[in-house]
Amino acid sequence: MAQAGAVDIVRVPDRLAFTRNRYLRALQTPRGLLGLGLVGTIVLLGILAPLLTPYSPTFQIRLQELLPPSGTHPLGTDELGRDLLSRVLNGIRVDLIVAVVAVPAAAILGCLAGLLGAAGPGWWDTTIQRAFDVILAFPAIILGIAVAAILSPGERAIVVTILLANVPIFGRLSRDALISQREREYVVAARLIGVSPVRVLFRHIFPNVVDPLIVQLALSMSLAVFLEGGMSFVGIGIQVPQPSLGNLLNEGLPYLATNVNYAVGPMLTLTALVVGLNLIADALNAGVLRR
Amino acid sequence: MDGVSFQVAASETVGIVGESGSGKSVTAASILRMVSPPGRIVGGSITYRGLDVLAMSEPEVRTLRGDAISMIFQDPMSSLNPVLRIQTQLVEALDAHEKYRGSKSRPRAIEMLRQVGIPSPENRIHDYPHQFSGGMRQRAMIAMGLGNDPGLLIADEPTTALDVTIQAQILEVLRTLNREFGTAVVLITHNMGIVAQLCRRVVVMYAGQVVEEGPVEQVFARPDHPYTEGLLRSVPRLDSIRHGRLYSIDGQPPQPGEQTSGCPFHPRCGYRIERCASERPPLAVLSSGHRSACWVTQAGGELGAATAGAATGGRRAPALGAEVAPLLEVRSLVKHFEIGGGVLRRTATVHAVDGVDLHVGACETLGLVGESGCGKSTLGRMVLGVYAPTSGSVRFDGADIDSADQSHLRRYAQMIFQDPFGSLNPRLTVEQMISEPLSVHGIARSAAARKRVGELLEMVGLSRRHASRYPHEFSGGQRQRIGIARALAAGPKLLVADEPISALDVSIQAQIINLLQDLQAELGLSYLFIAHDLAVVRHLSDRVAVMYLGKIVESAPTAELFANLLHPYTRSLISAVPVPDPRPQARPPRIVLQGDLPSPTAPPRGCRFHTRCPIGPLANPERRICIEQEPPLDPHRPGHLAACHFAGEAPAIETRNAMA
Repeated sequence: MAQAGAVDIVRVPDRLAFTRNRYLRALQTPRGLLGLGLVGTIVLLGILAPLLTPYSPTFQIRLQELLPPSGTHPLGTDELGRDLLSRVLNGIRVDLIVAVVAVPAAAILGCLAGLLGAAGPGWWDTTIQRAFDVILAFPAIILGIAVAAILSPGERAIVVTILLANVPIFGRLSRDALISQREREYVVAARLIGVSPVRVLFRHIFPNVVDPLIVQLALSMSLAVFLEGGMSFVGIGIQVPQPSLGNLLNEGLPYLATNVNYAVGPMLTLTALVVGLNLIADALNAGVLRR
Repeated sequence: MDGVSFQVAASETVGIVGESGSGKSVTAASILRMVSPPGRIVGGSITYRGLDVLAMSEPEVRTLRGDAISMIFQDPMSSLNPVLRIQTQLVEALDAHEKYRGSKSRPRAIEMLRQVGIPSPENRIHDYPHQFSGGMRQRAMIAMGLGNDPGLLIADEPTTALDVTIQAQILEVLRTLNREFGTAVVLITHNMGIVAQLCRRVVVMYAGQVVEEGPVEQVFARPDHPYTEGLLRSVPRLDSIRHGRLYSIDGQPPQPGEQTSGCPFHPRCGYRIERCASERPPLAVLSSGHRSACWVTQAGGELGAATAGAATGGRRAPALGAEVAPLLEVRSLVKHFEIGGGVLRRTATVHAVDGVDLHVGACETLGLVGESGCGKSTLGRMVLGVYAPTSGSVRFDGADIDSADQSHLRRYAQMIFQDPFGSLNPRLTVEQMISEPLSVHGIARSAAARKRVGELLEMVGLSRRHASRYPHEFSGGQRQRIGIARALAAGPKLLVADEPISALDVSIQAQIINLLQDLQAELGLSYLFIAHDLAVVRHLSDRVAVMYLGKIVESAPTAELFANLLHPYTRSLISAVPVPDPRPQARPPRIVLQGDLPSPTAPPRGCRFHTRCPIGPLANPERRICIEQEPPLDPHRPGHLAACHFAGEAPAIETRNAMA
């Protein structure tokens, strides 16, 4: 019965535009590739740290304090005679844990909170949103000081601070996206078919709201690295002798005039990591969101 | 657009007709040299009163714009600046030119508002755009465009975003302006009815080219291009005899930028000859002032023979009078929405649906008509349980729909949406979408489901090959077919179609209407067909119910309703529809309703229509009953219900020209 007509596809645009590969395509831009390169290199250096240097980051070599860069110690040594390259590379590992564990955890918790707000009763939503407002009113570093005061400084304080600072960001983003999608006709259509609410949420709505969340994830990772640096720099983050990019910077500061190499290593690494993550966020933003 | 040429004489009205992407808006924009990059005017000439527009300097063109030639746009919501008062915007337009500068500008602005029919313009001129209704904003735009007595007004789909009764008001304004001030009007539209009612000459565009041009009477009586013929024949009309199927133009209009050889219409043309595919036909004069670009008619061929898509009219006899329980039964249904609210804020109650009874029998189509904001979409969604009723009940297939188990409703009642872009999930493939109802209701899985998806796609006129594609790869009409296939997947008994064709191009609408009719005949479906277009509703429905401000004001079997109009609102709705026939005798007497739809947060007391009614207290002040007492929906003729104290009384205007 169907009158056939000319029902050929009229447009054949890039098939990839709406598949997961669109992330790959967004990253295959100069910005994206540079970001991936920077971040990838640093991640690799961090993971392979024990293989790349013969010294333990805490091993003190007698009478070898504050050496300038040389063949045996490419970044020199610190005031206690520890190999700086080894300390920097091992310091990266803390940042990786922070970025790869704490931020995704914050994203998941934030999305759940946003979901509760969007799906729950009105007063519930209001309560959650106001709580987010309160947290967002404080700069992350202030939150960090409070957390460190309660939990005592250390890796745990950094992770908790990153969670606190990022849960509201993801919570708000996901809530707004969910609410804007919920009234869309394709969602109504799915409900009318009899699709269960959970399935509507995860199969229909979630794929349509995930883009801004992914971009925020990259951005939050960069902020997390930054925050680790900040907290450790002021002494409420990773405690010596364990190295982190932040406390290495702090320790190198007094020697800036005499041993520039001390601070330069952690500084360049930290900067490259932050810039790289930002470039990735930027490329995703341009390629996925703004089209 | 490509090689378009036409002329507009002083104080003439010319209609430019075409579908989206046919280049009609670009044509209008180029007259004022407003083509946005990357568009460019690469050749040709534009002459206004002997002046070459293309040779002008930019300041000269600016003087031309708004002074000699002005333009109004489709969307009155976005073409006025929301943060500036109407006065500021009107005066600005006047101050930019010589004629009404300085102290003369404000009186002139008020005068213009009065001319376009804004009540008490001295006060309303201080309003912000959001305080104006859609129709009033469009009037304000027209006032702005006409302030400097332009010789030419270009109106780009000026009524497309408006309701029919408001559209009738705006068209009346344009007609008056043209008659009294001699302003030439170029009216861009896709609606052949508007052209017939308002224009002297018509230019039909297709794929960026003029395919036919001529005096309206000649073109409508004897179109010389198959596309024009198709456009005229594919639209259901209020004044024609209902027949089984609509004439439809197959296929899709070409995408802008798509290169075609020969005549751009030949892939869809039922008359094509060999020459059409290879050589592009020139625009040739056929009779005085009537030109067309078609090899067939230029060779002396006649149109009217081809019957593309015209199968036998397979309308099954509706199950009228059968003593079976109706499939869908709605009783005193009410839906009030609370809006506003929050701390220290008053809430307002929107009376979206206010006591509606209706029923739809098996294999029956009930048409639900009304203007935007009358509650018809809310009603449609409540029937499917999307919104819970404030009070009243909906029974579907013998069970209340608010019962705990909704699986029966979900399987056997489905919806077709208005927006073919928003109603499909952009992240799912066609197959994932259509097979979802199959898995949800445990009908079919994996290979069986895939087979069924293929069958469904073919049933709605698509191909199995399309199953793996994403929605953005389809055109509007094709997406609507996908939506219909999804609705059909679980084998429903009832389909609620909420304005299913109003977002589609004219030549595609007929395809979808025919598809809906074929499916009904084949599968024995019932439809609740919600639309604002009376002609389409009349064409498709067994019975029609007319809604106004949350209530049904008239309902009857289709033939009975259109033969004996009882409610003045139905009458005015019908008279507001522009009939695509320019002959004076075909023109029904126009009842132009006053004012706008009252807000559903505060519906008028008594009869809700009394604030606009042509036979109510406005025309007959002694009729207090309309203000004081709400008329019940009573039968006035067999099967014909109307809610009016003076049902059947014709408005005064009609006594001069019987409507029959």
